[in-house]
Amino acid sequence: MNKWLIPALTASLVLGGCSSVPRGSIPVVDGGSSIGSAQSGTPGGYGNQSAQPQALPEDSGVVVMVPGGGGSSMPIQSFPAGNAPLDTSTSNQPWSAAPPANAQGGYVAPSPSGIPSGGLTMDEQLDGPVLALLTTAQQQQGGGDLNGAASSLERAQRIAPREPQVLYRLAEVRMAQGDAAQAEQFARRGLSYASGRPALQASLWNLIAQARERQGDAAGAAQAREQARVSL
Amino acid sequence: MRPWLGWAFKLSLVGLVVLAVFAVYLDAVVQEKFSGKRWTVPAKVYARPLELFVGQKLAKADFLKELDALGYRREGAVSGPGGVSVAGNAIELYSRGFQFYESAEPSQRVRVRFSGDYVAGLTQAGGGNLAVARLEPLLIGGLYPAHQEDRVLIKIDQVPPYLVETLVAIEDREFFNHFGVSPKGIARAVWINATAGQLRQGGSTLTQQLVKNFYLTNERSLSRKATEAMMAVLLELHYEKKDILEAYLNEVFLGQDGQRAVHGFGLASQYFFSQPLSELKLEQVALLVGMVKGPTYYNPRRNPERALARRNLVLDVLVEQGVVSAEEVAAAKQKPLGITQRGTLADSSFPAFLDLVKRQLREDYQEQDLTEEGLRIFTSFDPIMQLKAESALADTLKRLSGRKGVDQVEAGMVVTSPENGEVQAIIGSRQPRFAGFNRALDAVRPIGSLIKPAIYLTALERPSQYTLTSLLEDKPFSIKGQDGQVWSPQNYDRKAHGTIYLYQGLVNSYNLSTAKLGLELGVPEVLKTMDRLGVEQKWPAYPSMLLGAGGLSPLSVANMYQTLANGGFNTPLRGIRNVLTAEGEPLKRYPFQIQQRFDSGAIYLLQNAMQRTMTEGTGRSVYNQLPRSLALAGKTGTSNDSRDSWFAGFSQDVLAVVWLGRDDNGPTPLTGATGALQVWADFMRKADPLPLDMPVPDNVVRAWVDANTGQGTDPSCPNAVQIPYIRGSQPVAGPACGIQAPVNEVMDWVRGWLD
Repeated sequence: MNKWLIPALTASLVLGGCSSVPRGSIPVVDGGSSIGSAQSGTPGGYGNQSAQPQALPEDSGVVVMVPGGGGSSMPIQSFPAGNAPLDTSTSNQPWSAAPPANAQGGYVAPSPSGIPSGGLTMDEQLDGPVLALLTTAQQQQGGGDLNGAASSLERAQRIAPREPQVLYRLAEVRMAQGDAAQAEQFARRGLSYASGRPALQASLWNLIAQARERQGDAAGAAQAREQARVSL
Repeated sequence: MRPWLGWAFKLSLVGLVVLAVFAVYLDAVVQEKFSGKRWTVPAKVYARPLELFVGQKLAKADFLKELDALGYRREGAVSGPGGVSVAGNAIELYSRGFQFYESAEPSQRVRVRFSGDYVAGLTQAGGGNLAVARLEPLLIGGLYPAHQEDRVLIKIDQVPPYLVETLVAIEDREFFNHFGVSPKGIARAVWINATAGQLRQGGSTLTQQLVKNFYLTNERSLSRKATEAMMAVLLELHYEKKDILEAYLNEVFLGQDGQRAVHGFGLASQYFFSQPLSELKLEQVALLVGMVKGPTYYNPRRNPERALARRNLVLDVLVEQGVVSAEEVAAAKQKPLGITQRGTLADSSFPAFLDLVKRQLREDYQEQDLTEEGLRIFTSFDPIMQLKAESALADTLKRLSGRKGVDQVEAGMVVTSPENGEVQAIIGSRQPRFAGFNRALDAVRPIGSLIKPAIYLTALERPSQYTLTSLLEDKPFSIKGQDGQVWSPQNYDRKAHGTIYLYQGLVNSYNLSTAKLGLELGVPEVLKTMDRLGVEQKWPAYPSMLLGAGGLSPLSVANMYQTLANGGFNTPLRGIRNVLTAEGEPLKRYPFQIQQRFDSGAIYLLQNAMQRTMTEGTGRSVYNQLPRSLALAGKTGTSNDSRDSWFAGFSQDVLAVVWLGRDDNGPTPLTGATGALQVWADFMRKADPLPLDMPVPDNVVRAWVDANTGQGTDPSCPNAVQIPYIRGSQPVAGPACGIQAPVNEVMDWVRGWLD
């Protein structure tokens, strides 16, 4: 059994090392300033651009929900990294679970930033574009521009379609727009990409509970609350 | 004598009163139209804006193609908005800025660094990192009213240097001095015409030209000329030169584009140079101004020599008038016309996609709003994907053209993003540039085996009854259907394959075992699954439906497969993102909506089987063109006598559906695998997508199974293969086979895992 484990592990280490993006090279940029200084055309009434984004924490190892100017229906949260501090140069998926045709080590392309491909159990810090757009959306929501916020989040979703925090924020904005059914759906979609991130899972389940309550499904809400509790 | 004078006096008095009344009337006309909304503007349809961020997958060649389409000038050093300079893998550009629905994008200097087919660096001019930036979107069409007048409205302060000076120098030198009519100009015209003995020059001022185009018909008579002169004077009385000039710049006719009339310098600049007016250089300005005299005669696309001569004549006049120095003009004369070429991205039309957009818009807006209010429609259209789809189709049909009958084959194709349901490209005909029958939307054809995933999904949703390794019988049978017909399905190879695993029925597209499975499940159950996948159909629940006798359009097939690709979450396909008013105010959004329709575990198992279709089944020829490391899932479809050749499949980020067939429904020489799949594979090669990588759902486990028996086994045993199961439905693991496991098996396994 152990005989063939060695080449397999070696291969995974080598390939993993080749393929993963060096995290340190991806800049974390405060997008609030550049987006805010918009010009061209003279439309009025987009969000409240003057809202100052708070300083964005950059300490590694903690994934931070974008801190906001009070527009969010949820308190500021942070999701700690996965259970163990993981070396990002290797996939932490148990290799035996790798599907036959899309194994972790097989892809050659560097992972586009903001798109956590492969090791979804790996907690990743949001970087450049996604963080900037979530910040913009937060400002727009704070200024009461829910359509603008939803639109910015959809833009973030196009850039990082599998980032559960984007889906979480989309669910929140749908909730604020009064569309509890869609809020629940987006939270569920977020859950499918949030494995190994218990704090985020718990928040998503809590959001589902709220959405179900709003839809008059008390039993479903209680079930979701229970799931939130179990996740943590 | 006296009575005569008296009469004359009275008569002229009456005449003056009549004239005064007429003037008051004309004055009302002049003011009414000029102060109100002067023009109706057709809705404009935009492609998606290209997003730039570090880590984005984008080939440098594609990026440059987009910049060319947007009319960016290649420069040594970027001088201003619309300029770009290329140095190896580093590209610097000055974006133009644009008002989008969610926010305004600033005009800014941006440096993009490429590494391979990825964006490796994105910085501002100052050197600071830029998180994300957008280019302005490509204009891909408009919604024109019956009279088909189109324009891009401009303000007088947006015009480039020399435009006003050149226009005045060529068309009306006294413009800033006269009061609407120019006696001096008329005198000169009379003199020139008299000496030449023919009508060479009109004495019209710019104001008169504007009045003529704006208020009057094309009739040529003395009374109309008089009315024109009066109105010109009245117009000058009420409005400033600046306002009159601005109206003139927007009104003047500058060309004909098929049915569409190109009005105003704003649109003419886009139409001929693909650039905003404000960026035009001296020689471009001179060309457009020169064309005012005869837009058809001096059309630079049709009559380039004539247009060039006219342009240089205009430039000479500018020197003569002291507007520009002789050196500048000499340099400008060296420049080519610089007209965008037909057939490039910048000058292409995409009728099939616009058709989709128009159908959606007509559900939500009055025709008048669309053709007159200047709405800005933002779509998900991706011109780079569209061109790749078009060239994949053209290249493949060319490659297949040796086969008899391929010439009559028509095509339809849809490309979407499976992760959000946005339509990126559509082909409605094998000649994608010709508007006409849009097969992607309107060709409803039997889908053949494309329906099979729905049958297997119905089964896999019942893990207590069916797993990927359940056994099926692939042998001939006959049943009497509800319609009284006896139905005896056959396999494509006319052979029976005996006892097989469930997944093999899908992977090899066996009709016998699949139909049998469908009958076990019940035809209405399978049709219910089709409904849940997002396909509206009113098919009768006949057994023949199990083999795809029901018809769908390529777009509907894309809808169905989108749900399979997106983890069981259905998303209605969308081509429009949002709509802004002419003033840039948000008007409407077409939000991203999702609904979970299937358990993600069942979808995971189905995707696993659909991946095997590509690696070992009917779709395996795809890997003749693509690397094995690229995980893809898909399904071939062929209707009776190869009348329809289908392929539908997806990677992580691209979904594409291809249909080939004849409009008269005749047989073709192509099956799903030899026809549509070839187009699909060539497209995927060009699109270079991300490998399919669905996260393993919580309720899925992977178990070791003996490939020969289907019984649970241990990875150390011979013939052990790993298969995903819904938790609880997996076979009990067998005992380990010890250390004597042959090394070959293991290496095969390692290799399979590395792929």
